Amino acid sequence: MSLFARLRQVYTLTTPAVWILAALGLIAAAVVFSRPASRPEGLVFWLFSRSHQEAYQPVLKKWNAARPTPASTVTDLLLDGGALERRLLSGFMSGTPVADLVELERGMAGRAFSGPVEDIGFVDLTERLREEGLMDTINAPSFGPWTSRGRIFGLPHDVHPVLLAYRSDIVEAAGIDLSTVETWDDFFRLMRPLMTDENGDGRPDRYILNFWATNGDVLEAMVLQAGGGFFDDHDRLALDTEINARVVATLATWTGGPGRISVDAPEFSAPGNTLRLRGVVLASIMPDWLAGVWKMDLPELAGKVKLMPLPAWEKGGRRTSVQGGTMLGISRRSADPEAAWEFAKRLYLDRETHAKFFASTTIIPPVRSSWDHPVFARPDPYFGGQPVGTMFIEQAAHVPRRASSPYNALARSRLNDVLLALVARVNREQITDPEVLLPETRRLLSEAQTAVQTLIHRNVFLRTEAP
Amino acid sequence: MDIPLSRRRALLLGPIYVALTFCAILTLVPFAWLICAAFKTNADVFAHNFLPMGDGFLGVAWDRLTVANFERLFTELGIGRAIANSVMLSAVSALVATFFCALGGYALAKFNFKGRSFILSLVLASLVIPGSLLMAPGYKLIHDLGLLDTYAGLLLPGISPAFGIFLFRQAMVNAAPTALIESARIDGAGELRIFFTIILPLVRPMVGAYLMITFLGSWNNFIGPQIILQDPSRFPLSVAINQLRGMYGTDYGLIMSGTLVSIAPVLALFLLLQKEFISGLTSGAVKG
Amino acid sequence: MSHPAPASPPAAPTPRGHYRAEPLWVPWLCLAPFILTTVVFLAWPLLQSVLLAFKQTYGPRNAVWVGLENFTFLFRDPLFWKAVGNTALFALGSVFVQLPLSLGLAMLLNRPGLRGRAVFRLVFFAPSLVGLVFVGLLFSLMFAPRTGLVNTVLHGVFPAFDPEFPWLEVYIMPALILAALWLYVGFNMVYFLAALQNVPEELLEAASLDGAGPWQRFRHVVLPEIIPIASFVVLMSLLGSLQLFELPFVLLNGGGGPDNRGLTVVMYLYQTGFITGDLGYASAIGWVLALGMAMFAFAQKRFIRRHEEN
Repeated sequence: MSLFARLRQVYTLTTPAVWILAALGLIAAAVVFSRPASRPEGLVFWLFSRSHQEAYQPVLKKWNAARPTPASTVTDLLLDGGALERRLLSGFMSGTPVADLVELERGMAGRAFSGPVEDIGFVDLTERLREEGLMDTINAPSFGPWTSRGRIFGLPHDVHPVLLAYRSDIVEAAGIDLSTVETWDDFFRLMRPLMTDENGDGRPDRYILNFWATNGDVLEAMVLQAGGGFFDDHDRLALDTEINARVVATLATWTGGPGRISVDAPEFSAPGNTLRLRGVVLASIMPDWLAGVWKMDLPELAGKVKLMPLPAWEKGGRRTSVQGGTMLGISRRSADPEAAWEFAKRLYLDRETHAKFFASTTIIPPVRSSWDHPVFARPDPYFGGQPVGTMFIEQAAHVPRRASSPYNALARSRLNDVLLALVARVNREQITDPEVLLPETRRLLSEAQTAVQTLIHRNVFLRTEAP
Repeated sequence: MDIPLSRRRALLLGPIYVALTFCAILTLVPFAWLICAAFKTNADVFAHNFLPMGDGFLGVAWDRLTVANFERLFTELGIGRAIANSVMLSAVSALVATFFCALGGYALAKFNFKGRSFILSLVLASLVIPGSLLMAPGYKLIHDLGLLDTYAGLLLPGISPAFGIFLFRQAMVNAAPTALIESARIDGAGELRIFFTIILPLVRPMVGAYLMITFLGSWNNFIGPQIILQDPSRFPLSVAINQLRGMYGTDYGLIMSGTLVSIAPVLALFLLLQKEFISGLTSGAVKG
Repeated sequence: MSHPAPASPPAAPTPRGHYRAEPLWVPWLCLAPFILTTVVFLAWPLLQSVLLAFKQTYGPRNAVWVGLENFTFLFRDPLFWKAVGNTALFALGSVFVQLPLSLGLAMLLNRPGLRGRAVFRLVFFAPSLVGLVFVGLLFSLMFAPRTGLVNTVLHGVFPAFDPEFPWLEVYIMPALILAALWLYVGFNMVYFLAALQNVPEELLEAASLDGAGPWQRFRHVVLPEIIPIASFVVLMSLLGSLQLFELPFVLLNGGGGPDNRGLTVVMYLYQTGFITGDLGYASAIGWVLALGMAMFAFAQKRFIRRHEEN
């Protein structure tokens, strides 16, 4: 039998796809292995935000250029938030490789702080911060989410104070003057006339506030603004407080029933952005980072939005809140924690970096000495020429403190469930007065408190360490 | 009553075409959305469901369509390397798993040996073990074996899945007559020769089907590689695309163009394998 | 199907006509890859997860023996039961909505004389080629109130339909069932289509001549022929549904959705294991799930055995 005939016989033994796949696999393998992945030398830096990564490039380049040996250079690696979280937790819990430096979002941090305090995978920075005087230069509330059982495990990246963004074009065209607004009640009273139904579909064409029953981020911001929260100053669960009850009951009447003034326009989503562009939503809770996102994702709104301090819950009350947050932590397993700490300070504490970072992301730094940089006072054409940086900085000192409990997310989702139940009732019984809801709210909150408390008590690691 | 069945059926075909076409359109709508989004700027993704409306031909703003998303994918984000990784990973895992599963299925279907029923129950038991149960200890194991951040760590656990063994066993119980194997043995054929020249050609459809299944599974798998691989230059396409979903800002146009790029190869493979795939996929289910 | 050429005699031929028993080592060698990977990547981790189920952990390094506490807590954990309820709802949706639709489509496609069968089949199958990242993203946009395609179309066709219908706030499981419908209906259709091709045409003709109506023809001619495949598809679909994880995980951004209305058992397992770090409790959940799945698999095996005996 000739060689060709033999080959042909072999070829016909199975489906041609096998041979095609084999050929493709070989070619791809040649490509893949001809360019072996380079293992980074020196320190590895994980981060989850592309905008952060872009903003850090100049600092990284300068830092690496100034290192004589590759041992303390820094290589950055952008990861999807979920991937970063999984890898980090797995690294801390099971000892798989983790980066030397990790930028961490608040939602993930609590999980890194559960378990025994001596097993937290980040270097305890408390002494360093104290010795180097950084406790005083950094805005105090910014440490909150990174503090567990009195120890600080991360260098704060931001303050994330919250303002209110509103469609100035529409508001001003209607001749509404918001400068006298002090409380949410004032605000809604003035804005209410804009909720008309011109197109006759039986629904208002515009809604005042971007909020809905499942928006846990804004719910948390609102509760914190009012002075409520999920945990007290000693990190004890405090869901069933009177402040929380009042805020949740009030939010329920904003979200449903005849008194509804809010609409769901989620951030980072096409449907939400469509509603913003169409002017269906008039005002949004606006942390500093979100202002930067709008500038990128919604260029059409330039000049049509303005910022103002949040209306307070009561006259003279707090005019801001806090939403989101990022820290930089150093892994305890880092080969060179000193170099990592130096790099962290270079990246997070440098005045000019702060200015550049603000220019690209509108995020203000937590370092107070940087706040007088002229970039923050620059008028921002996107927000009608307002000095956006200064406006956020003015509120920075009033930002409420947050807890770092690993059960924060759980408590928040339970509070959200309470709100959902209330909204359902508001819709069913057409309730407008929060007072009517209060008894049920208190009952639901105390149930939620018990449910979360049960889980906290179940945790043997926290139980043995309870004070 | 007197109309023969075939005539009556022909008359009935009209409404069937209508129903099928309706369902087909429903199925294709998301794809239409995907293709439109891949060629739009992010702003137009937000503003229009399908093609951007404007004053061009048919009321569509054709000039606002762009291939910028694809350019960015290949230049700025270097997706080419991810494609090579994916092709390599998926092709290797599909070929290896198909081969080993065919072997295993053959052993279970055509050999009488002590412990066969035990192995068969082992296969069935592995089928019902939720993968998530093994996620945590499995990850630790991969690390302990030094396979973290290697392709081997991703490929080894899947070289011989129980599902495949089961499928091939089912296919071979029916397709390969035991008499044929015995007569081949009497003729003095070696065991390897029997497997390659008699058994494999008989289950050719199942080979096609299982190649497709494993290729697809590995092509679209993103949780596994995301946990096991650390180095971005090793990431397969699925992870690279998932990475496009940044934390602060979602670039739909980019993700959709990436998705389009990632669907194309599997679609091509499917077209190639369609016939075998479909007859093979089902032959495993014929006998329980 | 091509017949293989007769094998040429190997180098050392055994005497013709002499029966050679199947060698004992061949099956074991064939199964070696399976046995090895199963022992290393399945049995060993599984063993660890058994031990874990009786511990409370923070990662594998911090573990405290708690005995049966994980299981006793599990049975009074409202969240677990909520996850079970959601998962069961999805499984019911898969079996009673998706599979009948798959079968229906397959029967339509199986009509003799139908043209373009391959095209339709390709179209219906196409969604299963798409990765879940895309599906999750896509459906979170399609189910959006007011602007989402689903509500826009439904409101356009039935003006009484609320354009703010809260799919992803209240009706998460129905939304997931719909998304899964799009994703898998064609996949299961392919199985049914092949099964239907085994139904002899003459049998149908004969039944028709005997005056059997469409339902009777289906019940007495088609169904018995497709039962083996159908029961396999039902089992696969059940087991897949019970392990539902990635679709809601991507669709709901990793959470359980409002009021945990989209929480599935595996998602809860993932949350407790990887997010709270309690691998012990997660293992307990996993074992209860595995037990449930094994029961279904066993039931299917029994069913098929009985069917074959008849």
